[in-house]
Amino acid sequence: MLLEVKNLHKTYADGFQAVKGVSFAVKKGEVFGILGPNGAGKTTTLEMIEGLRSISSGSVVLDGLDVQKNPYAVKERIGIQLQSSSFFTNLNLIELLKLFNDLYHESSDPMTLLQEVGLEEKAQSRVKELSGGQKQRFSIATTLVNNPVAIFLDEPTTGLDPQARRNLWGLVEQIKKKGTTVIMTTHYMEEAEVLCDRVAVMDEGTIIAEGTPGALIKQLLDRGFKPKQKVQAASLEDVFIDLTGKEIRD
Amino acid sequence: MQRNFNALRSLTIASIKMYFRNTAALFFTMFVPIAFIGVFGLLSKSEGIKLTLDITNQSNSVLSRNIVEAIKNVKTFQVSETSQQDAADKLSKGKLDLQVIIPEDFGQVGQDGKILPNHIHALYNSAKPQNGQTANLIIEQIISRTNAQIAGTPQLIVLEPAGVQTKNLGSIDFLLPGILAISIMQLGIFSVAFAFVSLKTTGALRRLQATPTHPFNFIIAQAVTRLIVGVLQVVILTGLGIWLFGFHLNGNPIEFLFVALMGVLLFLAFGFTVAGYAKDENSAAPIANLITFPMLFLSGTFFPRDAFPSWLTAITDYFPLTFLADALRRIANEGVHLIALGTDLLGMLVWGIIMFFVAVRVFRWE
Repeated sequence: MLLEVKNLHKTYADGFQAVKGVSFAVKKGEVFGILGPNGAGKTTTLEMIEGLRSISSGSVVLDGLDVQKNPYAVKERIGIQLQSSSFFTNLNLIELLKLFNDLYHESSDPMTLLQEVGLEEKAQSRVKELSGGQKQRFSIATTLVNNPVAIFLDEPTTGLDPQARRNLWGLVEQIKKKGTTVIMTTHYMEEAEVLCDRVAVMDEGTIIAEGTPGALIKQLLDRGFKPKQKVQAASLEDVFIDLTGKEIRD
Repeated sequence: MQRNFNALRSLTIASIKMYFRNTAALFFTMFVPIAFIGVFGLLSKSEGIKLTLDITNQSNSVLSRNIVEAIKNVKTFQVSETSQQDAADKLSKGKLDLQVIIPEDFGQVGQDGKILPNHIHALYNSAKPQNGQTANLIIEQIISRTNAQIAGTPQLIVLEPAGVQTKNLGSIDFLLPGILAISIMQLGIFSVAFAFVSLKTTGALRRLQATPTHPFNFIIAQAVTRLIVGVLQVVILTGLGIWLFGFHLNGNPIEFLFVALMGVLLFLAFGFTVAGYAKDENSAAPIANLITFPMLFLSGTFFPRDAFPSWLTAITDYFPLTFLADALRRIANEGVHLIALGTDLLGMLVWGIIMFFVAVRVFRWE
């Protein structure tokens, strides 16, 4: 197991319990999705695993390292994409990637990283000049400077148009192919179905279901679930993509 | 160690780039102080007081011409010669300090070959009595000297004036250290508070925390950047002052720079207190203003504190900006060394230490 989370709790100073006993495990090379509505505790869980937020109780072991005891060693092994994806102002993409190299004590080639996420033409641009999708792709490029064993993506496609979202799915699949483990949160179920090997559904600070998307769907159908609407062979999104093309519009 | 040094160096270079590519920050820390020095420098460059007077000489005696010549030779006078009517008009409009009229029969010689007694009329604007009376005193002196010469009486008491070589301090010598101190305060407080808080609200700082480099390195990088900008401020402002406005740096330039950089560090402690405490720009601005505004006017930067009531002097004695401005001014004006600035340096040190601990105490990364 690359990541083992056991009975994780987070209680804030005001007494609010954001996470109430979350446990799960992620295998090496898997894409693991944490699904759930806003305020379910997805981001807090992720931030505790990443060593960005203190753990009230429970344990996180990543690549054999206890996060609470070795937060810096863990940060050296992982890549983190935050929801806000903001960077230092007034620096261009190459300069930012060089800075991240030094922050991670690495020497990846910035241009190669930009090529990997399809932003080589924007090398001299600043982050504020990028579109939403480009920002997210750049943000993912910064998570790759240290050749991480795992990357964490917090709602990477929120606010993107269908083309940009599909483009990002392609990027995540490409990262997975290299053997990097991906742990991500999302609101979009079709995204989880496409990308995730396994998912955990979170609500009100606890995991209420866990499994492969196929198994979870089968469980529901076995309980006698009937969709309200007859499932059509194509969705409106398929129509939209068919009409406007997959070509990304940054 | 080496790895951490690389990270720190990289963060410092990034901070410097961020600073110098931020036009607003550059405007406030470099251009505004230069503009201040420029405006005040030009204002203070104009020569001392000139008294304007007009002479209407209706006589054409030798004596009257000699007196007019003597008056014209007085350097503080700006003398014009017009008709009595025009001069009276200017006097009534306040454009003249003194109107001098020498009557037609002045300097006439009597039958015994002696000069007949006569009057010179001097009219001054009663709304500006000081100027008029000062001019009168000088003219009176010329007249009494002339009287003595005519009468042939020996001068029993003679005033012997002698020019003394002084440091010749002008108002720029007072203003420049004050403006420099203000620029240093603004650099330490505003440029840090706003840059840092904006990185905090956007989440850029959080991204930094997600790396294996401790974010404290970024605080050092920000401080180093401000020290570099501080050196530039001192060199540019002092250089312009010396070059364009005759500023005198009588003390040791290195000691001057040292005190300035101590000021940068002192106000950085304030800046990081604000940056660390404030949640966003909206809460940073009022706190930063609350700290800087009273000091701006009450620390003897733009004008001396001599006119303050004693209780206000007693309070403002302890302002950090007072210590900084005073230390800079005394090095520049009096040429004293650091050893003579014990009170100022101690004051700055104590404030720096207090604010450092306050900053550590209230600091929040998010």
